[in-house]
Amino acid sequence: MSELKETLKAQIIEQLNLEDLTVADIADDAPLFGEGLGLDSIDALEFIVLLEQNYGIKIADPSEGKEIFQSVDSLAAYIEKNQ
Amino acid sequence: MGRKAKLANIVSELYLSYGGLITPLGDTATENFENMRLGKSGVHKVSGSGFNKEDWPLGKINSLTSENRYTELLEKICEALIENVGIEILSADRTLIIISSTKADITALPSDTFASTREILKNKWNPAHAPLIISNACISGVMAINTAADYINGDKYDTVVTIGIDALSDFIVYGFQSLFALSDQSSKPFDKNRTGISIGEAAGAIVISNKKPENGAFCVNYLGGSSSNDANHISGPSRTGEGLFRSINKTAERSSINIQDIDFISAHGTGTMYNDEMESIAFDRLSLNSVPVNSLKGYFGHTLGAAGIIEVISTMLMIEHGLLLKSPGFEEQGTTKKMNVLSENVEKEVQLALKTASGFGGGNASLILKKSL
Amino acid sequence: MKILASCKISDQGIYLNGEVQQKYTKETDNWKKDVYSKMKLDYPKFYKMDALAKMAFLGFELMESVSSFEHFEDNDVALLFANRNSSYDTDLRFIESYTEKGSPGPSLFVYTLPNILTGELAIRKKWFGENIFFIQENFDPEFFIDQINFYFRKGSKACLCGWVDSANDKEECFLFVVEKTDGEITAEELKKYYKQ
Repeated sequence: MSELKETLKAQIIEQLNLEDLTVADIADDAPLFGEGLGLDSIDALEFIVLLEQNYGIKIADPSEGKEIFQSVDSLAAYIEKNQ
Repeated sequence: MGRKAKLANIVSELYLSYGGLITPLGDTATENFENMRLGKSGVHKVSGSGFNKEDWPLGKINSLTSENRYTELLEKICEALIENVGIEILSADRTLIIISSTKADITALPSDTFASTREILKNKWNPAHAPLIISNACISGVMAINTAADYINGDKYDTVVTIGIDALSDFIVYGFQSLFALSDQSSKPFDKNRTGISIGEAAGAIVISNKKPENGAFCVNYLGGSSSNDANHISGPSRTGEGLFRSINKTAERSSINIQDIDFISAHGTGTMYNDEMESIAFDRLSLNSVPVNSLKGYFGHTLGAAGIIEVISTMLMIEHGLLLKSPGFEEQGTTKKMNVLSENVEKEVQLALKTASGFGGGNASLILKKSL
Repeated sequence: MKILASCKISDQGIYLNGEVQQKYTKETDNWKKDVYSKMKLDYPKFYKMDALAKMAFLGFELMESVSSFEHFEDNDVALLFANRNSSYDTDLRFIESYTEKGSPGPSLFVYTLPNILTGELAIRKKWFGENIFFIQENFDPEFFIDQINFYFRKGSKACLCGWVDSANDKEECFLFVVEKTDGEITAEELKKYYKQ
């Protein structure tokens, strides 16, 4: 699980073009949206692409993502469950 | 509201006249108006236009045949200007050319996407001054006209010719597709069942001058304009319509008019849920709910940097003919605030028309036109 | 009118009001993150911005660290910007996203317009004033003075002006704030700050 989280962080940095951040800058439980990493609805679309391209998981309705994309923890848990 | 401006900003009377209009609905202003009057739309499904080869509805100009749609379209609008305005005015020392475009010749990348624009103008009539290029997302066209007025009011030029132009490209279509912002049928601005934007391509040209056209061609008065940022989000419309509300207020003040005297609004109306809702909130805050309003995006698609220019030309045509055009795709009110969206063409003498635009980067712009006596 | 503050960021270094900065430098590829960290800014949106917006953001923060703009109201400040290459870098990266990386990236696409940086500054300061973005071949001080005069005549009390460009590994950022007062500024004055 922790390996998955580290991979996810690297993928988030790559997919969302956050090149000034490093894996160490993102805490497992830090909120990705709003105050945390400052992500918004456009970035949620990037998460949908990330899940589909890297994990083969399809999210049809962008509003479904809200809970899944809360943090690296929640993302990893969702991937474990659905892969 | 309706406060008179403390300081008059209008230095000289300004007149707007037609320079040219090339859209999916025709190659001249007259042809476009005739097709709009008949309720025709230039938005049709384009086979394989999407990133996954989807058939998105787009406002595509079928007469463009060369590899480079942008340069061909620019050549055509320049030819129209030469015919309608004449080389003498276009190349005069007291004339400035302003180009409004978001992506210009995007296929030129990694070379300069604006180089061909300067080159074509030079070859066509060699303007006395380097053309001024405005690239301010979807409000570029309205800002080009406002900037033209600044230059004439500042006594830098007597005539400014504004050209609004953007061509279809994979870049733009894939971009809006990636935002889930494209509509799978022709866009339906302000309608309850709207699902997004239809992208289009067009070129339009307007002549702004401190003199009426010498050949007696139709013209309207420009009274004033402004812009205002939402200071809220770079791609999402404000939930309160703050920037648009402030811009219209400023424009009315600069134009020394009472907002309640506006009798027609050519709105931005892209057909996305949030944009159209935002506009309805701004108009409601200004008590403009009962003023006839349309979005012209259903005729041409959203033509980005050309939109402000071609929609002002269309507004001039409506003033000239005393006919307000229906807002294509609108059937049932789909905004929380009441609007008087035109579902049919309506004969009406317009004295004061408001044009608005909003876009990425949080920009909002507006201007007011008056029927010329 | 008078110049309240200026900031120039180029290969030569970072200059504030004409003076080269020792604390903030541009020596590494990571200079934007370094300056952001050294200034102890807390604005997570910074990480999402493209190079143009990051430079404009940092240039403005640097000016604000030595000058105050708090006396301006939220409608007072016009943002007048220009550059040569529009959103060149981000345009290329967006194209790469759909030609090489599998699918068009929405978070890149929203930065494929140069005026996004004016939106970022307006959001940061909650400034609702006028905004405009021009594409020009070179920084032209006379052009900016004309524009400033137009916006002062229309009622703006100050103009935040900028030339922010990034293409082919060449980055350039020149910002200056002009307040409406008696007196004029000259093209030579602007040129002097720009040339640093």
